[in-house]
Amino acid sequence: MIDNDFDRRDFLKVLGWGGATVALTGCGFTSVEDGKETVVSYVEAADYVAPGISVYFNSTCAQCDAGCSISGRVREGRVLKLEGNPDSVINRGKMCGLGQAGVQHHYNPDRVREPLLRNGDKGETITWEKAYALIAEKLNGVSGDQVDFLTGTVSGHLKVLLGNYLDSLSSKNHFVYEAVSPAVQRAANLKSYGMEMPHFNINKAKVVLSFGADFLGAWISPVHFAQQYADFRKGVDGQRGVLVQVESKMTLTGANADRWLVVRPGTEGILAMGVINALGAAGLHLPANVAAAVKDYDKERVSKDTGVSTEHLVKLAAILKERTPSLVLLGSAAEGYAHGSENAAAINLLNQVLGNVGKTVEASNAVPFPQIAPATGNSSALRLANNRLADGQCKVLFTYATNPIFTAPAEMKFKDNMAKAGFKVAFAHYLDETALQADLVLPLDSALEDWGTVVAEYQPDGVQIGVQQPLMEKLHPNTRGMGDILLALIKQRRAEEYKSFDDYYAYLRTALLNNKKEFAEAGIEDDIFWNDLLSNGIINVGGNPNKLVSKVATDFQLPAPVERDKQYPFNLIPSVTASLRDGRHANQPWLQESPDPLTTIVWDSWVEIHPRKAAELGIVEGDILEVASKNGAIRVQAYLFPGIHPDAVSIPLGRGHDALGRYAKGYGVNPFQILDRVFDKETGELAMHETLVKISKVGNRVIVVKDEGPAGGQQAGRKIAVSVSSDQVDLSEEV
Amino acid sequence: MSVTNLLENWSDFRHKHPVEDVPHDPYKWAMSIDMDACTGCNACSVACYAENNLPVVGKEKYAHGQAMHWIRIERYWPEDDREFPDQGAQFLPMMCQQCEAAPCETVCPVGATNHTADGLNSQIYNRCIGSRYCSANCPFKVRYFNWYDYPTTENVWPAEMVQQLNPDITLRSKGVMEKCTFCIQRIRAGERSVKNEGRILRDGEVQTACQQVCPTNAITFGNLIDPDSKVHQKWKAQRVELDVDEQVKDKEEGGSELRGYRILEELRPYPSVMYMERVRESAI
Repeated sequence: MIDNDFDRRDFLKVLGWGGATVALTGCGFTSVEDGKETVVSYVEAADYVAPGISVYFNSTCAQCDAGCSISGRVREGRVLKLEGNPDSVINRGKMCGLGQAGVQHHYNPDRVREPLLRNGDKGETITWEKAYALIAEKLNGVSGDQVDFLTGTVSGHLKVLLGNYLDSLSSKNHFVYEAVSPAVQRAANLKSYGMEMPHFNINKAKVVLSFGADFLGAWISPVHFAQQYADFRKGVDGQRGVLVQVESKMTLTGANADRWLVVRPGTEGILAMGVINALGAAGLHLPANVAAAVKDYDKERVSKDTGVSTEHLVKLAAILKERTPSLVLLGSAAEGYAHGSENAAAINLLNQVLGNVGKTVEASNAVPFPQIAPATGNSSALRLANNRLADGQCKVLFTYATNPIFTAPAEMKFKDNMAKAGFKVAFAHYLDETALQADLVLPLDSALEDWGTVVAEYQPDGVQIGVQQPLMEKLHPNTRGMGDILLALIKQRRAEEYKSFDDYYAYLRTALLNNKKEFAEAGIEDDIFWNDLLSNGIINVGGNPNKLVSKVATDFQLPAPVERDKQYPFNLIPSVTASLRDGRHANQPWLQESPDPLTTIVWDSWVEIHPRKAAELGIVEGDILEVASKNGAIRVQAYLFPGIHPDAVSIPLGRGHDALGRYAKGYGVNPFQILDRVFDKETGELAMHETLVKISKVGNRVIVVKDEGPAGGQQAGRKIAVSVSSDQVDLSEEV
Repeated sequence: MSVTNLLENWSDFRHKHPVEDVPHDPYKWAMSIDMDACTGCNACSVACYAENNLPVVGKEKYAHGQAMHWIRIERYWPEDDREFPDQGAQFLPMMCQQCEAAPCETVCPVGATNHTADGLNSQIYNRCIGSRYCSANCPFKVRYFNWYDYPTTENVWPAEMVQQLNPDITLRSKGVMEKCTFCIQRIRAGERSVKNEGRILRDGEVQTACQQVCPTNAITFGNLIDPDSKVHQKWKAQRVELDVDEQVKDKEEGGSELRGYRILEELRPYPSVMYMERVRESAI
């Protein structure tokens, strides 16, 4: 049994949570017979532990920012499996593969276990006391303006503490960076709808037209949207919902579309304008300014610019006009250009013209406590932080939940710039690329060992605060929770104000109890309130609806499609996959071995190229290609993929680590590294789809490791997976 | 018995369940999978790894076809000569079909795989000698062989990850065949828990791990002979019957409005999994 001086066990008991203390008492291949462990009698088992009986505890998933509530199966003090919490309005008892792999984050053999201090090229184990003292020493004599925090998305009370700590340092430099984020869309939505993230009610729409929004895969809150999608397919008033997906590279959502329309990269906005024009031609009333704005987008021109046939354009307008309400979505594929904001404006305009605002685009609720509302990430924050590092303005850098050395384009020289900061502290679960460059690495508890509150950006119904609580005793005695670390650090500056909080748990409990009247009926006892809260794993607070507006704006200019560059003839599409996202969880073996749904490839990267283009260039599957941009080149196996525009090639993000751990290091390539530094003009976001590349064969060929057999997805005439046209079935009689 | 006689009267000789003298009672476990709901997201497959202690074999062994995914998502492309798959891809969750007349059972030299009274195709690990005949004879290719002793293979379950293993399931060692069990550990635990109440399991009391996690509820699992079960109702609405080899959909007029079918039914394994065709809108 693990003992540590930390008194968590005592307060676990207070909560009736003592069960977790039996963790690590046995079971495994090194067993009692070997004499390596002590037999612990279950005659006097701790509370909530009955040998052989599983108990479920609710918490919140930390694998992405969607904030799904989870229910962990705990037996004999060990967490075995994560399942969905049915009471959560976000995920209603369901989960994705990424979320379930959370146990492999917790049990990962490559977690950092001790505080490490740089000594030359090596990390030397030091004590927490020494680590804290070192931070205090390094902050001494540094002005607040010289201290930067670079983090991923943070919310809840961790955000409050982080803010207070920065405040105690007189620093305003908190940069929230997410390599993959809907930042352009947030800005566009704020303009069009008056809020960054309205509700998108897929389940109320009869037609969904999605411009590259991979809502079944990796977009915003995929488990929630997948459930809406299931309702949408069953239909509103018995009419099965129709999904049309517009993009240059097929996403998982595109693969589920009734009609997948491939467009020339970057022309999504033009197509949206063309649809508005076609709607006008089909008799839909357009406001005068809109009619004027789209008058040049006749179907012939739009068809020529985008590559979508006039026939499909007309059919699309017809179905949108006939079946209302519809819903138009906008995703990373449309956002990722220098004119991403203009694309977004055109697509939102289509929603407004169709009258969807107020029907399928509805007001979301504002988080009633702005301090705990999420600080959402984007990539322009990285640019700011990077500039400060380059100019030597940052002396002490803290990083948390972000890995910029892996996710920043090499051209930004983040690694070199980071070296200019005098003292770098990484709060880390793994020794990832960024932690390896730090001077001090502080090991964090896993999400299944830590306390916290999580507020997701996308809130489908009211506002749900996710409660995160330990599902078991800590696996490694010398890791600490991020909240505990921040509390220890803030006590260095403001001991008096925080002295009553022994740890982050005490802080959190006090904070929530102080606001009890907001969450629960009047007069409820503290302990009952608190136990209910832990048992539910969620707190539902209503929150007032944001004010939904529909500001029709036509003051944007879409650029004409660019001519193909002769030297760099392809657009590189760095695709975001549902299981690997920006790569922070690549060391979880279930995710590495979970085949990419579209190519069925495992454990490696690939470059997708259209079969026609491949034939022109003499490329076959498995050829190693050099994919070169102006800023670098990577070598990767070719996969012939019919779901991509012939002018584009696509490489998935998330692999290509040279650190992180045994299941990630050395597998695949990292396309982040070769991205061009092109930014959306309006928001300053990195335009992820603007990189131009050339490809060449390097000569060797490998066998692509994938699940798909040699038949390559063909059924050879047998009835295995069958499709039927909607006019041939009667869905109304189905159960 | 002449070969001619055998071939002509095959269905009389073919061993199949349920037979009148040994009917399934009180359970017959079955599934229905709606491919218009399935998005191919792979959550079911990860759930199965978590629930059933499936080893992650790594890149090299995966390349040799030694992956151990009891449920996998097959991806098909439309078979016409269009330049782009403009009606998307087609995803198919494939797992052991728990055939009523399972081709794997008849070829096992030691009777390690056989039929249970509740209609499952069971695999007895400690009886299996690893002939792999069953796998060779499975039309669905859903049996997975332990080519290695995964519990002792490096980086499959390093010390910490051992603690994640489900204690309700054994770990399989080298030389043993394994496959989807319809989460038999959950079924048995459920049966035991209701036994004290003197009743049988109600619909929904036992869920398979894949069904439980599926974000779109594409997978329905339950007791086919319970008229209140969803799976019974779905099979009935689609007019799919367990013990015939040609369904209404394919043989009767008007049947084409139905979506339910079973894969490779013409081989007469009588699968316990009904699939429902994916639908694609005709107006766009």
